[in-house]
Amino acid sequence: MLLTQNVLDIINENIAIIAPLLIIQLVLMITALVSLFRAETTNGPKWMWALIILFINTIGPIAYFIFGRSHES
Amino acid sequence: MIQLKNLTKTFDKQYAVKNITFNLPSGKCVALLGPNGAGKTTTLKMIAGLMHPTSGQVELANGVKGDIRKYIGYLPQHPQFHSWMTGMEFLHYVARLSHIPKHESQKLAEQLLDRVGIADAKNRKISKYSGGMKQRLGIAQAMIHKPSVLLLDEPVSALDPIGRRDVLNLMEELKQETTLLYSTHILGDAEEASDEILLMHKGAIVESGSLQDVKERHQVDKITLRFDGNMKAYKEKMEEFPFVTHTDIQKQKIHVYVQNVPEARDVLLELVSKEQWPLLFFEVGQTTLEDLFMKVVNEHAMADHL
Amino acid sequence: MQWLTIYKKECLESARNYKWVWVPLVFILFCIMDPLTTYYLPQILESTGGLPDGATFDIPTPPAANVFMMSISQINTLGVLVIALITMGTIAGERKSGVAELILVKPVSYTAYVTAKWAAHVTLVLLSIFVGLIASWYYVQLLFGDVSFIHALSTAGFYGLYIIFVISISLFMNTWTKTPGLVLFLTISIIMILNLVTSVFSHLLEWSPTNITSYLPSLLRTGEVGQDLWLASLFTIVTIVLLLFGAIQTLKRKEIV
Repeated sequence: MLLTQNVLDIINENIAIIAPLLIIQLVLMITALVSLFRAETTNGPKWMWALIILFINTIGPIAYFIFGRSHES
Repeated sequence: MIQLKNLTKTFDKQYAVKNITFNLPSGKCVALLGPNGAGKTTTLKMIAGLMHPTSGQVELANGVKGDIRKYIGYLPQHPQFHSWMTGMEFLHYVARLSHIPKHESQKLAEQLLDRVGIADAKNRKISKYSGGMKQRLGIAQAMIHKPSVLLLDEPVSALDPIGRRDVLNLMEELKQETTLLYSTHILGDAEEASDEILLMHKGAIVESGSLQDVKERHQVDKITLRFDGNMKAYKEKMEEFPFVTHTDIQKQKIHVYVQNVPEARDVLLELVSKEQWPLLFFEVGQTTLEDLFMKVVNEHAMADHL
Repeated sequence: MQWLTIYKKECLESARNYKWVWVPLVFILFCIMDPLTTYYLPQILESTGGLPDGATFDIPTPPAANVFMMSISQINTLGVLVIALITMGTIAGERKSGVAELILVKPVSYTAYVTAKWAAHVTLVLLSIFVGLIASWYYVQLLFGDVSFIHALSTAGFYGLYIIFVISISLFMNTWTKTPGLVLFLTISIIMILNLVTSVFSHLLEWSPTNITSYLPSLLRTGEVGQDLWLASLFTIVTIVLLLFGAIQTLKRKEIV
């Protein structure tokens, strides 16, 4: 508890510095979700990818873009 | 138009195409007919430049050798597209690749889509196309640069009856403007659209010529008989007559190929009754193209089963 | 014109795949991760109170230039992996699926086909790396101290050359097999072997492309391009040309089907 509280404090104090990081992660996640919803088919179930994108920070969206999109090329 | 000279292709020392030579006449529609595995696709791919012949060559009538791709339109058996593109985008892309200027290619793509009957789907993604629509788009992309020769690999065999009819009609039209070479394993499809046929078997051309010529050539008179028991002895006996050219046994029947039908019929019937052979079946007829095709196919099927 | 058609198609495909969005974002993340964690590490450690009382924190703040180099080494591992992943199917995948059959049966020059694809990937990846490194430079400037922007830019430029080399290896491998996974494996293997050999025989292999990275810290500090770096860069350019030439020749000889 103490740990998270302190980390939150740090984040609060430095929000200007950390904000870009959080925003980029958010944009990445949203792009992945948009792509997921618009895709006709994916490698593996869509709900699984949705969970991966939502809950695995950064790596989740990347994994989706690389492995999740069933290749229409 | 296009000449194949001693074209040969081997895979691991097995012949896929064996020393074929033919001249594809300009303005004709030629069917490359043969059972699966006869080497049709390999032949077409070598003409298209997608496969390299082990030996022999493909030449244009005007002597152009080597890269003849700009004169050739090709539709593979299972065409694959960039399915993230729309039909329109793909055609436009392929047109630009064929050095067609931008303003023309747009117009050309529109025209072709209309012509093959998928104009209303032009702005839809190809991934949403049905099999028949993909086949039409495939024909459109093959025609886009107005090739002198259009190669179609099994253009109708994967289609439903309606799609098949449409594509055959389209081919009928295309025949007017370009030289057409298409492969099929269905005799009916070959008879329907083509002026000439090339019958392939085990990588070689076993019969070729205009449809009429080939038909006539294979209209040999024959008498078909069937007996109870082992037929080999009867067959040998009948072979001795001067009017018999040759005989064979297929599906429990003896086929006796003869030159003079009335004489042969009388003599054979007399022989049967005199010797009291246990006759079950007797028929006078003619061989057809289908017999030839079936013979080739059966031999092939048997070879596969060995 | 044909070249431009293929290049544009590749770029359009990257747009439809959202690559123009996610690849730059991912490289920015790779690049700013280290400056941020390095900066906050003491505070985070302190706040967790993991150390016994009386123990003082004395984690020296690394020089600004070193932190910028951390971003580059991040690209050198994770970034190279991502690059290999996004390029592994560019030709191999098209051949595997059969689209290449429709494309290359048209009078398409193999040179245009290979180099346009190469150029499209180079554009995407270099742009991503530059954006990422600029972000890194910004954070380094903000949190650690001054690093000359011009020096950072030329460092990124020479590093970009190495990245083009990586893309060229992948393109070359793309023409050898139809299996994208194998392309990935071969590309990564070659780079790892090259790294290993270069680090073992570094005194003999000053010109090795993978040595470019080891010359970058001094470039970043002084802004001077040493002789070794010139040599390695020149060798890298020659190798890139050879790889592309090899790829074109291989594709010509290969059967497309």
